[in-house]
Amino acid sequence: MRIARTLRKPVAGPAKPDFGGAAPAAVASLGRIGSLRLTLWLIALFAIAVAASYQGIAQPTWALAAPLALLAANLAAAVATHPSFRKQSALLVFHLALLAIIGLLAAGRLTYLKGNLELSDGQTFDGVLTERENGPLHRDALERVAFTNLGFSVEYAAGVRRAATVNQVRWRDARGEWRGAEIGDNAPLVIEGYRFYTTFNKGFAPQFGWTARGSTEEQRGTIHLPSYPINQLQQALEWTPPGATRSLWTMLEIGEVLLDPDQRVTLRLPREHTLVIRAAGRRVELRPGESHAFAEGRLRYEGLRMWMGYSVFYDWTIPWLLAACVVAVLALAWHFGAKFLAEPWQGGDAETAT
Amino acid sequence: MKAEMILLWSAIVTYTVAGSIAITGVVLRKRPEGTVLALMLFGLALHGASIGLRWERLGHGPFITMFEILSSNIWSLLAMFALVYWRFPAVRPAAAIVLPILFVMMGWLVMQSPRDGHFPPTYKTVWLFIHVGLGKVFLGAVLISVGLGGVVLARASERGAAWFARLPGDRALDELAYRFLALGLIFETLMLVAGAIWAQDAWGRYWAWDPLETWAFLTWLMLVFSLHLRFTLKPAPRVGALLAMGVFCLAFLTFFGVPFISKAPHQGAI
Repeated sequence: MRIARTLRKPVAGPAKPDFGGAAPAAVASLGRIGSLRLTLWLIALFAIAVAASYQGIAQPTWALAAPLALLAANLAAAVATHPSFRKQSALLVFHLALLAIIGLLAAGRLTYLKGNLELSDGQTFDGVLTERENGPLHRDALERVAFTNLGFSVEYAAGVRRAATVNQVRWRDARGEWRGAEIGDNAPLVIEGYRFYTTFNKGFAPQFGWTARGSTEEQRGTIHLPSYPINQLQQALEWTPPGATRSLWTMLEIGEVLLDPDQRVTLRLPREHTLVIRAAGRRVELRPGESHAFAEGRLRYEGLRMWMGYSVFYDWTIPWLLAACVVAVLALAWHFGAKFLAEPWQGGDAETAT
Repeated sequence: MKAEMILLWSAIVTYTVAGSIAITGVVLRKRPEGTVLALMLFGLALHGASIGLRWERLGHGPFITMFEILSSNIWSLLAMFALVYWRFPAVRPAAAIVLPILFVMMGWLVMQSPRDGHFPPTYKTVWLFIHVGLGKVFLGAVLISVGLGGVVLARASERGAAWFARLPGDRALDELAYRFLALGLIFETLMLVAGAIWAQDAWGRYWAWDPLETWAFLTWLMLVFSLHLRFTLKPAPRVGALLAMGVFCLAFLTFFGVPFISKAPHQGAI
């Protein structure tokens, strides 16, 4: 009711700053910073910065941060000085929510993390990412995160177009207990605020045992061949066994069509395959269970598994940003709704052009 | 598929007849408003049946190909306009501005292949419907502003002033256009928020400045700029009309241009 009453006498456009008993010079400065005309210029500047960043003309972070900071200062000064905001609560709430969003975005950029990792079937994440990017104030807690890739399925529609991805995982909760989950499209695994997503990036992972010359201890592990099916004709990798100095070039030969383009199929391990290994000019073929002695050690091929590429994202501000956005849009709807309901459009039965 | 196409063509013919009658009514200063509304509703029913049959056949909504997106947007824009046409009798002659805009989209639609598209796994979420639905209300609201602004601009000429003499004055039309722009701002904001929620789950980030996000945000900024300029500088109705058209052009480019020239993951193509 209060809003409707005040809106019957709306503020007629930009009003002069009103700042109680503060020093006139400070009020005048604040009023200039909070100028509504300046807001127009800053919105235009921000739009230009967005377009320039998009075109690659400007470095995105600073190109966007600078006008956004100016807009925030303008907005804060306008909220402090313009009487419109004190007379229209919903408008005030909307603009305060905008300020909160800008603050949260800044906090998010300082503390976020995004990265990638790859896990073979049965492998547990050890806190190490293959690629990472984070804000300067990010406090890493990845060492507390543990989850295991228990295997996945990826369906393909006719034409080798990727459909559903379903990945079984188990993960350790805050009490140290292991729990199961099924993740995939639109369903990340969230642990300690870190959100893990399956990606299109996945492939085959030959598993080996390597016994270095002169040693009796066998080291086991997998190599991740290039992503499949994007690189289905380049299933080869050059790698160096632990402790060795010379690399082994390894290629997977698949003797069948795994993804029939005419059918809906699920990606699976090949029924028949051979590993071709080249080292020091020699070519060796290995099947599961076979081994070969190279100059620096014995390589035993255990079998073929699959690997999944995950992306990880951390930003503690997400729920707060959502809350601020909801408040902003509700306040905006409240403001316009109350304003328009208080003053119904008069064009239907009032003046005409003639 | 044959029935879908017959229904779609029938709807397009019905819309075209409705638009032609609306334009003729404005030029001859007649009021065939009941006929225009009835034809629009009949066209919407035929068009809705066509979309429904295709949905049933493919197992997914009209979200993938340019054919589907144009078709569903023509339907939603016309539905929004029909609602306004019914609720605001004073501005009904604006149909002579709005319907030709939709004719352009219909011409574009009939040149598109009605082939099936692949429904990406990341589209299997309720957020698709929320995001797209909010976007349709936003675009519809801006289209109505453009129709009202178009009347204001047309009245700059002597002939236009005569054709649209029955409508309320420019200030009143500008005020109504402003209200629809404000509605557009609310729905575009909601659309961006819903899109961010979806993107967070689908691609692991709520915002990545991909081409569609960037252009949608530029549209939002243009809309905010237009509303703020209106409050701050009290521009003439013709300026308000041009701003509404600027917002619509940016939104149109975002909706129908960017997704089809960009290879960004926002399409759900990976």
